[in-house]
Amino acid sequence: MPLDIDRYAHLDSPLRRWDPRFKLFSLGLFILGVALIKDIPLSVMALAVALVLVWQAGLPSHFVGGGVKWVALFLFPFFIIMPLSYPGESALRLAGFPFALEGLRLAVLITLKAIAIVLTTYAIFGSNRFDVSMLALQRLKCPKIIVQMLLFTYRYIFVFLAEMQRMDTAMRARGFVKKTDRRTLRVMGNFIGTLLIRSFERTERIYKAMLSKGYQGEFHTLVTFEAIGKDWLKAAMVLAIAVLLLGVDAMGVFRPAVQGWY
Amino acid sequence: MHISDGVLSGPVLAAGFGGAAVLAAVTMRRMDMEEVPKVSVITAVFFVASLIHVPLGPSSVHLILNGLVGIVLGIRAFPAIMLGIILQALLFGHGGVSVIGVNSVMMGGGGLLAYGVWQLRHYFAFAHKEVIFGALAGGTGVMVSGLILALALLTTGEEFTATAGLVLAWHVPIIIIETIVVGSCAGFLTRVKPQLLAGNKGAALIHKPSMEKAS
Repeated sequence: MPLDIDRYAHLDSPLRRWDPRFKLFSLGLFILGVALIKDIPLSVMALAVALVLVWQAGLPSHFVGGGVKWVALFLFPFFIIMPLSYPGESALRLAGFPFALEGLRLAVLITLKAIAIVLTTYAIFGSNRFDVSMLALQRLKCPKIIVQMLLFTYRYIFVFLAEMQRMDTAMRARGFVKKTDRRTLRVMGNFIGTLLIRSFERTERIYKAMLSKGYQGEFHTLVTFEAIGKDWLKAAMVLAIAVLLLGVDAMGVFRPAVQGWY
Repeated sequence: MHISDGVLSGPVLAAGFGGAAVLAAVTMRRMDMEEVPKVSVITAVFFVASLIHVPLGPSSVHLILNGLVGIVLGIRAFPAIMLGIILQALLFGHGGVSVIGVNSVMMGGGGLLAYGVWQLRHYFAFAHKEVIFGALAGGTGVMVSGLILALALLTTGEEFTATAGLVLAWHVPIIIIETIVVGSCAGFLTRVKPQLLAGNKGAALIHKPSMEKAS
């Protein structure tokens, strides 16, 4: 499971040069717009836009592909559940079960939108260092305390991941094998409890160390943001596309015909 | 269990963000900067712990543990879980940005109610009550999040009725698993470091009076 979505953030690209505040704001709204789309042709267009964004971010396809694959796999059950359980009469039958084309349409719509949103998320957070993205969030008026906690948590996820792997190795070296039984679950409970205690004691030391280095509630950073004309232009383009897609969607231009496929 | 992007309707997504904002504001009242490292570190532990897989027959499931966050952090469980949801959406690359609100209300709400259940132990006195109430809290956390998810699906449209039913069914084994895991964890912590648990004497993680601030 890749926890470093910003692995390729050092690569130069039009998206990387885009001011993170504008990028986060406009693409964030774009994502919300995509989530509201109700017709397949428009979701295909949204997906195309998302692919352009990922291409413009310069992210390698195997990197992005992993996330897309996971989303597609997660949503695969919908392709079975939705057609078979869609409410109302349906003319078709598949192996004796009522098969609703409308249900299939819904599953396709959901999957297209989800993939478009994942790709856009990669474009936003894969094109900057994570702490830069968080600073942009703060500049967009996200409460400072939340941003601070996000940064802290991010920092320590990797520390505890390593700690957990060490403890796991130690357990397996002592012959522990995970099985579907109560003993396994009790051991897991103790494992998590130990992890909690060790991290809590680490917290105390961390906090005292920070205080002694002059921490007063703010991370001081050398990162600065400066907006240039191109930033406004890119944001305007993205927002215009989002409004266009939603507007066409609302007008019902592509509303499914009574006897259509989509 | 989280919900993916693209499924829920606009009003449900909006209600999710609105609800999450309200709950966050309420549960973060009077939160001072001293609590930031503590809540963050525990959030990181849970983030990492939720990656643990427990075998379930031929496959495996990963733990949710929102009940455990509840019994450790009390009301600060909500911001902690919300942070975890945000980071999962941002870092994993599995999507989820549009449903951060709904997922936070789902998991965080479960965590808060688990805390409520955990606090009920003060009205009882019997041996190993922490294990029992911890177990109840663990199960409550998962059950509530499953119910809220089913509610979100049903509110989106009746075409998701079957999905909601399957979601609830899927939660049953997870409820059982987490009841045992969180119960045993609560027992372990009560024996080894009771101050870590919310509502205990000398509870170290919630509303500790501020240390002398460096002027």
